[in-house]
Amino acid sequence: MNRSVAWTGSILLLFGVGLFVYRFWVLGMPLLPTDPEGVWQVEMDVTLRGRGPGALEAALPSNDSHQIIFDETSSSEGLDLVIDHEGPGRLGVWSGELSGIHRIAYAFRVRLSGERFALASAPVRGEVPKSVTKAYLKSTPETPAASKEVAQRLESLGLPPSDDPSGRLRTIFAFVDHQITTVDEGTDDALLTMVEREGSPRGKARLMVTLLRAAEIPARLVAGLRLEERRSPDRIHWVECWIDEGWVSVSAQGDFFAERPKDVLQLRYEDDVLIEPTKVFAMDSSYSALRQRLSPRDLANMMIPENPFFAAVSLYRLPVPTQKALRLLLLLPLGALMVSLYRNLVGFRTFGTFMPILIALALRETSLQAGLLILGLVVGLGVVTRRFLEGLRLLVVPRISLLLCLVILLVLGVSLVAEEFDQRDLVGSVFPLVVITMLIERLALVIAEEGTRNALSRAFSSIVIAVLTYPVFRSTVAEHLMFGFPELVIAIMGCLVFIGGYTGFRATDYVRFRILGQGGESIPSEIFGIAPETEGKTGAP
Amino acid sequence: MPLNRLGILGINRRNIDYTARFNPRRRYPLVDNKLLTKKLCIEGDIPTPRLLAKAEHHFELATLVQRIEKLDDFVVKPARGAMGNGIVVIVGREGEGFQRTGGRIMQMDDIRYHASGIISGLYALGGTQDMVMVEERLVVHPELSKVAFDGVPDIRVIVYRGYPIMAMARLPTKQSDGRANLHQGAVGVGIDIGSGLMSAAILRNEAIDTHPDTAEKLLGRSIPDFDRVMEIAMAAAEKTALGYLGADVVIDAHKGPVILELNARPGLSIQLCNRAGLLPRIQSIDAVAGEPRSAFERLELSREFARAWRQA
Repeated sequence: MNRSVAWTGSILLLFGVGLFVYRFWVLGMPLLPTDPEGVWQVEMDVTLRGRGPGALEAALPSNDSHQIIFDETSSSEGLDLVIDHEGPGRLGVWSGELSGIHRIAYAFRVRLSGERFALASAPVRGEVPKSVTKAYLKSTPETPAASKEVAQRLESLGLPPSDDPSGRLRTIFAFVDHQITTVDEGTDDALLTMVEREGSPRGKARLMVTLLRAAEIPARLVAGLRLEERRSPDRIHWVECWIDEGWVSVSAQGDFFAERPKDVLQLRYEDDVLIEPTKVFAMDSSYSALRQRLSPRDLANMMIPENPFFAAVSLYRLPVPTQKALRLLLLLPLGALMVSLYRNLVGFRTFGTFMPILIALALRETSLQAGLLILGLVVGLGVVTRRFLEGLRLLVVPRISLLLCLVILLVLGVSLVAEEFDQRDLVGSVFPLVVITMLIERLALVIAEEGTRNALSRAFSSIVIAVLTYPVFRSTVAEHLMFGFPELVIAIMGCLVFIGGYTGFRATDYVRFRILGQGGESIPSEIFGIAPETEGKTGAP
Repeated sequence: MPLNRLGILGINRRNIDYTARFNPRRRYPLVDNKLLTKKLCIEGDIPTPRLLAKAEHHFELATLVQRIEKLDDFVVKPARGAMGNGIVVIVGREGEGFQRTGGRIMQMDDIRYHASGIISGLYALGGTQDMVMVEERLVVHPELSKVAFDGVPDIRVIVYRGYPIMAMARLPTKQSDGRANLHQGAVGVGIDIGSGLMSAAILRNEAIDTHPDTAEKLLGRSIPDFDRVMEIAMAAAEKTALGYLGADVVIDAHKGPVILELNARPGLSIQLCNRAGLLPRIQSIDAVAGEPRSAFERLELSREFARAWRQA
């Protein structure tokens, strides 16, 4: 490759990519138009009935490496909220004089992220912090880790050595998951669960904590919610145990192992009571959760960075209709890049240089199958009609114009039929019509001149490129990236310089010249009647 | 596949390293427009088919028709057509009508409609306005008519920086409908530059030894007047000042070799027909092209090189 080509390409590419990286890395502009994990809006609703002094305790979520809480709001009729920060979680306490029915609403937004934990392999050397061993190895009435039944059970399980906590966790998990039946109405007690081989979800979780602690692995019970989009969230418990350098989540019911699912919200440690009233006649409580996407307004705010220069050049400041047009425009360089790739590196032959991306653009307005069907129908009918027009012997330009009128009529018909079947129509913008007309004309010409086979192969590769470009044109991510980071056009220009300077073979060259590679048979010299020595009269150069 | 080892020239490299470098853009019209090519050839005393009539506008078609009226055989073609598209060959009269190759009959009206399509740019590169030209029909040299089915075979010579480096013959078949176009099923035959002998043949990417329709043996057959073929190809290259040129030559039974058309972006299938890559030949020439030499010296040098090329 030519040196100046390499320089030009590199400079463009580095400049475009550099600016892009700077803007999302340093200025923190979002790469994706929506948060893939989503943001949940969670609400707790409690209705109380009582008279005289009373209180309600509820577990409140706290930030950790898997959940970030924001926009917390609370409304309560006549009750005061105090947040208790003692211990690993937070506890909200609403208290005051009750007089009849009170409603307490507490809402927050949370961004959740899941994680799969890699279990450390033996021997594990990490020191467990003192605070963790002190709090989470002890034997309590709910988790009687020091009892002799537990010690016997562990012995019969045949645990791996103590420097392999991951192995121990696996053994205990297998025992609790496989050998103990979950019965919703079963016992909540750890030991009874172990002896009777059945227990409630709570009993199983407690048993698991007990066994882990007895096996010298710090463990704690966690209570929380499993959020779901269309129904109220389930209250669940699971177990966290300290392996090597951090807490690892495990479900005592086998729902997950060494994994924090991304729809799980942690509310309370050690105790699994989420809402607890005191001195109250009656209480009704519920949780609800709603998944929220980033709103266009939130996104636009994030896309205008604080840096005054970049704020000034942000396209998000333009009026919305202009933005809409520019969004489409900025997809074209991507399409052109794809066409260049397919034509110069792969070697596809197409109808016209940009015909495939214009087809993809036309398809953008419809679904792929419907679009291709309609396109095929219109082009097919067009080619047949052109055959008929051939017989009339018309001049070229009026004939193509006739075809254009015909295409418009066909599209009208298709739109009416589509309306009948409640489908979206194909009528996108004006130029796809001209595109379709030219497609018909060229297709008819190539059929006549180069045969149907050649025409179909070219039509096929045009359609292939269009179909491969289509998802890019439909992708909101691509649209967001190109519109939010127009410097990517410069990066694309860099790529185009590189493709343009590529002197190597196209993929189709290998197919085309394949017989030269296969046989390798050289031409037999008998063919040349004259002996090589006798020809050529002049001397060497 | 070791395309690099064989020295095969790919289309990307041809475009960047050779056509873009040795063929100045402003000289392209000389070869893209066959009327200009013809004018150039006449100036340079290079034989080319005689022009019988031409029309640039629709109103000139009447005159064109008048001229044709008197003729028995002729060829109608677009001045700026590509790949042989839009060419109609009339071989004789059939009452009021004209007989095309392959036996089909055309009326004067059909010819007029065809000519009008040509002027409108139906067959032109880029679909712009074009001109119709009517040329004398060439008579295939008897040596070559044995290996051509119902059409005119032509010889393509690649002239690189003034030196002929590779040649092939394109022989029409029944399948190609009398056209000398490899895509449409014509036979491609590699020609040894040193001896003018047919050295390898392919039909649609398959190696063959005999013509599929006439069953004549191809390999070892010699091209009549091959020295003259290369001479006029070199003369055309010199006249157009294109450094990477494909010259299409037809060997007429009476006039001998004539230039049919020139191509500034000659195709690469010629490598298939010759079972050899262009790059080693280009490199041989690059090593010697610095010194000025007469046409005779260049031809002799190419033939000298041909021995080494044949072995490669």
